[in-house]
Amino acid sequence: MIIAEQKPLSEIKELVASAEQVLVLGCGTCVTVCFAGGDREAQIVASSLRMSTKLDKQPKQVDHVTVQRQCEWEYLDQVSEQIEAVDIVLSLGCGIGVQAVAEHFPNTWVVPGLNTTFLGLPVEQGVWDERCAACGDCVLGLTGGICPIARCSKSLLNGPCGGSEDGHCEISPDTPCAWQLIYDRLSSKGRLEVLMDLQPPKNWSTSRDGGPRKIVREDLRLVDQKEEN
Amino acid sequence: MAENSNGYLSGSTLEKVLNAGHFAVTGELGPPQNADAEVIREKARLLKGYCDAVNLTDNQTAIVRMSSIGAGAILVQEGLEPVIQMTCRDRNRLAIQSDLLGAYALGMRNLLCLTGDHQSFGNHPTAKNVFDMDSIQLVQTISSMRDDHIFQNGEELKGVEPRFFVGAAAAPFADPIDFRPYRLGKKVNSGANFIQTQLVYDIPAFKTYMEKVRELGLHHKSYILAGVGPLKSLGMAKYMKKNVPGILVPDEIIARMSKASKPWAGKKKGELTKEDKKARTKAWKEEGIQICIDLIKDIQQIEGVAGVHIMAIEWEEAVKPIVEGAGLYPRPEVAEIAA
Amino acid sequence: MEGDCHYLEGNLNARRRVEYIGQLLDQIGLDRQRLKMINISAAMGNEFAQHAVEFTNQITELGPNPLTHVQGEDSKEKTR
Repeated sequence: MIIAEQKPLSEIKELVASAEQVLVLGCGTCVTVCFAGGDREAQIVASSLRMSTKLDKQPKQVDHVTVQRQCEWEYLDQVSEQIEAVDIVLSLGCGIGVQAVAEHFPNTWVVPGLNTTFLGLPVEQGVWDERCAACGDCVLGLTGGICPIARCSKSLLNGPCGGSEDGHCEISPDTPCAWQLIYDRLSSKGRLEVLMDLQPPKNWSTSRDGGPRKIVREDLRLVDQKEEN
Repeated sequence: MAENSNGYLSGSTLEKVLNAGHFAVTGELGPPQNADAEVIREKARLLKGYCDAVNLTDNQTAIVRMSSIGAGAILVQEGLEPVIQMTCRDRNRLAIQSDLLGAYALGMRNLLCLTGDHQSFGNHPTAKNVFDMDSIQLVQTISSMRDDHIFQNGEELKGVEPRFFVGAAAAPFADPIDFRPYRLGKKVNSGANFIQTQLVYDIPAFKTYMEKVRELGLHHKSYILAGVGPLKSLGMAKYMKKNVPGILVPDEIIARMSKASKPWAGKKKGELTKEDKKARTKAWKEEGIQICIDLIKDIQQIEGVAGVHIMAIEWEEAVKPIVEGAGLYPRPEVAEIAA
Repeated sequence: MEGDCHYLEGNLNARRRVEYIGQLLDQIGLDRQRLKMINISAAMGNEFAQHAVEFTNQITELGPNPLTHVQGEDSKEKTR
């Protein structure tokens, strides 16, 4: 899932400084699960903003509401009245949620309350690790299910580079060496020969490097929407 | 390009020395963190005649320095053969290929392909990195430009192709240690003509590594130059042993450095006069050079090792006594025509 | 006592959460000194009273809740 974390309150205050009425918009999906922008966090942020702006003697009216997913029009439609009634929407969705609000409500000024950090998972409660770089051309089949693009700090395809020590990456003792993990996994499966193949330079055009990406599934499209585009 | 038609890959001095079966010596020169050409010239004078070729580091440890190719052009003017180091950290495949076309046009003939240290170590940790290719893919790309006259994309390279003597690095003692000879195999099989290893201090461990290398037949396909470097002080020896991944410093060498500073041992910092410190530094440096000479002599006895790569960055003065002490001076004159 | 809780690790969890709320109070502009966590057992009546007196003195010194004394504003936040 998408992992995010909250911006500091000081930065959020700057982002909403020009507004008198603010709607804190939580999202009930990924950012709820990673405790960054769900209904609970939306309540806390709204309350913190009310208290803090009041102490600054510039009190704002801050309300909150949470939708199931900010990244789908139908859920945003459910709160359109509340969104359109305020000066600024503080979205506690990921970067997709913020943009969905901007796109769906052209007259509304929306600002982000979170920093969207990576695609990953909770390895334990309160600890999240990156797992996928969304490169658009999955290589996990070559590496025993451990991603060298997202998890090797140099995204090497012919690793390990030689900079790791005791299984951690040269950049930090907290970062496991992806290629050590791959090596260990392939070794335990008796499949080290896979590592002997020379992997050619990756085609990065399917990644962000190829420009903004888009998927069109003709089999799923509705006729009337096709005609619109 | 007469040198292209005489049987050599590149016609570089380094290639000729190795091809003739001489024990090669390469050195290393760190370009300055400014635009002063004189720094390069001065260091070049210290190394000229003592090395067959000299590596020019490429923003080593991710710190901005004069470019390897820029410094290489100065070395060519000075009549000292450069080995251009090229990392994959700062350039994508377009920039790498184009820079190397330029380097060849400026007279550079040796190339060392590296992945590069992560920028988080250096002085611009907020930079975006590239890592479009890795060192192995770089070796393959540059070899194909030379041998198949094609760019990385498969398009034909028309006209003069860059003919580099292509090298790669090896870290014999890095993790996972069982994989290191195979990783070297990947580099050799991707086309590396020569290999320069990480610093070797532990001869028995290096012998074990070379045994495996010979078993894989890699020493027949590529010239392997063992990395050596003089220790400056006891502290440096201890630091490397403890903190640098992939470098093994045996206790025996620590003991030799410790013995060198015995006259000053047990004295507290305040008790050492300026003269004491100077004398101790001198004693350490002399022992460091002697250890390096002894290591080279041991390495020369190991089957499959074709030369040494002496890394004495910011201590280029040490190269002369090391090369002389190891009996590797004068450097051989190599014929223009391949044997 | 710390770590020795009827709800097993409950008071350790509480400590981390109180720390989080302390940071939040600082960010909001309320002094984190207004919040304090202590560990005490049911048999420590005297200690409890002592802590209560100390903390009362501490917050009295800090003065009234600034949120209830901002001029011209309703004080709905104080009830939250």
